[in-house]
Amino acid sequence: MRAAIRNLAAVACVGALLTACSSGNGTTPDASQSGAASADPNEKVTLTVATFNEFGYEELFEEYMADNPNVTIEARKAATSNEARDNMNTRLAAGSGLADIEAIEIDWLTELMQYPDKFVDLADPELDGRWLEWKSDAVTTEDGKVIGYGTDIGPEAICYRADLFEKAGFPTDREEVADLLEGDWDTYFNVGKDFVAKSGGVAWFDSASATFQGMVNQVENPFENSDGTPIPLSENDEIKAIYDDIATAATDDNLSAGLAQWSEDWTNAFQTDKFATMLCPGWMLGVIEGNAQGVEGWDIANVFPGGGGNWGGSYLTVPEQGANHEQAKKLAAWLTAPEQQIKAFQAKGTFPSQVEALEDPALLDQTNAFFNDAPTGQILAERAKAIEVAPFKGPNYFALAQLVTDALNRLDVEGTDDAAGSWDKALEAYNALGLS
Amino acid sequence: MNQQLTRSQRLSRLDVKASPYLYISPFFILFFIVGLFPLVYTAWVSVHDWHLIGGQGEMVGLTNYIDVLQHPNFFKALRNTFSIFLLSSVPQVLAAIVIAYLLDTNLRAKTFWRMGVLLPYVVAPVAVSLIFAKIFADQSGLVNAVLEILGTSPIGWHADPFAAHVAIATMVNFRWTGYNALIFLAAMQAIPREIYEAAIIDGANRWRTFFSVTVPMLRPTIIFVVITSTIGGLQIFDEPRMFDTLGQGGADRQWMTLTMYIYELGWGAQKSFGRAAAVSWLLFLIIIAVGVINFLITRSIASSSSGKAGR
Amino acid sequence: MSTQMSTPMIEQLAGKGAARAARRKLHGVDKRPGWLTYGALAAVVLISFYPIWFTILLASSNAGEIARNPIPSLIPAGEFLTNVTRVIESDIKFWTALANSIIVSTVTAISVVFFSTLAGYSFAKLRFRGSNGLLVFVIATMAVPTQLSIVPLFILMSELDWVGKLQAVIVPGMVTAFGVFWMTQYLREALPFELIEAARVDGASMIRTFWSVAMPAARPAAAMLALFTFVGSWTNFFWPFIILGSANPTLPVALQLLQASYFKDYSLIMAGVVVATLPLVILFAVAGRQLVAGIMQGAVKG
Repeated sequence: MRAAIRNLAAVACVGALLTACSSGNGTTPDASQSGAASADPNEKVTLTVATFNEFGYEELFEEYMADNPNVTIEARKAATSNEARDNMNTRLAAGSGLADIEAIEIDWLTELMQYPDKFVDLADPELDGRWLEWKSDAVTTEDGKVIGYGTDIGPEAICYRADLFEKAGFPTDREEVADLLEGDWDTYFNVGKDFVAKSGGVAWFDSASATFQGMVNQVENPFENSDGTPIPLSENDEIKAIYDDIATAATDDNLSAGLAQWSEDWTNAFQTDKFATMLCPGWMLGVIEGNAQGVEGWDIANVFPGGGGNWGGSYLTVPEQGANHEQAKKLAAWLTAPEQQIKAFQAKGTFPSQVEALEDPALLDQTNAFFNDAPTGQILAERAKAIEVAPFKGPNYFALAQLVTDALNRLDVEGTDDAAGSWDKALEAYNALGLS
Repeated sequence: MNQQLTRSQRLSRLDVKASPYLYISPFFILFFIVGLFPLVYTAWVSVHDWHLIGGQGEMVGLTNYIDVLQHPNFFKALRNTFSIFLLSSVPQVLAAIVIAYLLDTNLRAKTFWRMGVLLPYVVAPVAVSLIFAKIFADQSGLVNAVLEILGTSPIGWHADPFAAHVAIATMVNFRWTGYNALIFLAAMQAIPREIYEAAIIDGANRWRTFFSVTVPMLRPTIIFVVITSTIGGLQIFDEPRMFDTLGQGGADRQWMTLTMYIYELGWGAQKSFGRAAAVSWLLFLIIIAVGVINFLITRSIASSSSGKAGR
Repeated sequence: MSTQMSTPMIEQLAGKGAARAARRKLHGVDKRPGWLTYGALAAVVLISFYPIWFTILLASSNAGEIARNPIPSLIPAGEFLTNVTRVIESDIKFWTALANSIIVSTVTAISVVFFSTLAGYSFAKLRFRGSNGLLVFVIATMAVPTQLSIVPLFILMSELDWVGKLQAVIVPGMVTAFGVFWMTQYLREALPFELIEAARVDGASMIRTFWSVAMPAARPAAAMLALFTFVGSWTNFFWPFIILGSANPTLPVALQLLQASYFKDYSLIMAGVVVATLPLVILFAVAGRQLVAGIMQGAVKG
């Protein structure tokens, strides 16, 4: 017994020693107070780059390090954007620990734009016009400070099931479908009503709240005025009208399959013909293909109600906390150049936000076998150019959007309330938020 | 009589007096370093207007507490927390004692049975959430499929609050019952066999020995399990968060617990660190109160049953 | 139950016949349990094992099959080794993560057991001023929700320059209130005062008494605590993710990266889960044997 305990103690000591010695990987560079530019551009420097999901940068890092031998790039990765966000928020709150380049998602911008002093100004006249206007406008403050460089975007088209269309007597060729759905949301819903009458139980789209997302992204000031003050929900006629439209379409006209996106029911619904169309950004293609293995008939049409829409997209930022502002800015600019973004696109399918990249043959020639060999690159590039409006998203955008999304989910997915009752609950929740 | 203490006697006295404090000091030292600072920090944050990214605002006293107590979501979270807590802790503790009692017998292949019940504790959350999602999905889940075959209507696991609580409590019980059973088992193994032998010679059957011998001797452990289950049960976070992909607790907050509410306030859309800290402290007080109540209840039950045995 | 009679005593006091009768009754104590017990336990173990079986099923399949059959068949397909190889060869720093997890969990478990037994012994068996209040304080520290302490803890680790290093994960977990409370309650019940008195009378110092009396008595509970602490540390995700990240990960942090895509390939993810769980199952087999009461049984006679 005593020998055993002595052995345990020895192991513990060795363990403690190993711990002290194994700290080698991943030490963050000292977060010096001012990110002083190094006078010597050839000085050895280690840059940490934090991304999430799949940016497609692995080979690009190798290339940059080969071209710039004084630079070592350390990649940090989080699996999902939510994890990356928690990580970034912790380090912002703690005041230290951020990487030299932090990737952010467009959804995080509403709050980060409130604190532009946490990020280095990346404005560079040489890079003007590199990105689609709405993409770069979103990261530019009123004073002209640019806090991020755009990486990818999520332009949306309509994905549909040609086989289910055929059974309902609808056209199946993607150009005909594009003509059929050309127009605004009323067109989309009316065609849907027609479809549901003939489909024998198949719904038109998967989720009311997901469709609502597409609709709201075309409104200039959905929940807030351009000065940042919130529009009281009870006075927000525009959103109420949209809510009524989608609520009627979803439940009264039975256009919705009543699914919550990403849930188990939604994943399984791809195999059981629950719905025939859905709003489709570029990154959703892989998801559909994965979930709909063995299902034949998916296609994508070069159309979107209201012209164009965007869902998702990221930027690279350079936090003020870091120690290597100049080098980081240089690397970020290089990574987000059209040539590099195309390479990332080829590696992981991230859709470029750079104007030049949208003309690149590597993009325009891309087809997708699962989607009936559709020219997805070309379709999504045209949808990207059709985007006219970038909705204003102020500090309370997501809290307010969540109120309406919750209302739709209560109605559509959970079935706990009717449209009027659910809207009333949203009004109550708005008051409880305690905004002006 | 004048007794002069020898040096070794004085050292011995010091040894006796000081050792207890020395032995408990590692916990307290570590706590003061890594436990106390977050506590004080959270208390400090709760009386300020504090945005997670923006940082410290002005001191607002108890405003955060008052705001939070006026928000209906707080009370929904409270209701959900207590409901899930009762649905999970009560069956769990009872089942754990019974399972431990069964494991305490002279089984063949003891290690297999004992470790077998602990398996749920090691299954990774991603696997647990996937499996239970397939069981409790509203449209395509296993339970609803079985209900349909049996002819009854399906249950809205993600729509109805109580159904959601039952599903989540099932996930919690699944994970922790074996764990608690082994705690009871370790304690049961320490009961000397002679007491059992004497009881059996005196004519007691299995039930009698259980209630009159095992339970009273397990009193400290029962108190331990009840208190840790209470503390853990009121802080349930992972299971309700995994119950759907959004992690919000339902569109109508049907299954949002208080710890989820803290997370939402602090890390979610509002990023109000101050309000999140206020809810943290309120939850702390609630846990202390319920913990004390449970302790008193358990202590009186456990002593009364030992009183009956006349030990 | 006022006397504790063993069969030899009965033989001495009441003769052979009575002793034989007692022995026949005593057969009930250590007899093998019946079908009901085995049946109930089998049901429990089956339910406990199902998720692991399910995980193995998914890990033996591929993404296409999983999509087509939401509820898989009960027999695994053949691709288990392929998927495990994919896991080990993915760009997630698998071997570093494995080594880190072993170091962190082992050191944490040993440390928690040692310090908890030390403190538990004091609270349970030593009389000192303030012991009740201090024990209540220890228990109360468990009641503090931890969702927000990530930020102050990160600040602390930043000050100590431990961000990204293993000690940032080990040190906060070196002694836990749960462990202290558990050992206190166990030792209250399992360590008779008489044994301690005997050692003191023999002239042992406090630490000597602890080492030779308390630690052996605590063995089953200590084994349990070591096991629980090891498993808890091994499966801990959020704090290691925040403080270590993908650069110097522990196993859960590294395996989480298998989910880094919009479409989740569950055959790969579940293979990762199996790989992470296997060491624990092995540990179970080893540690399970320790869960046997030690030398205390029968050590004290009436």
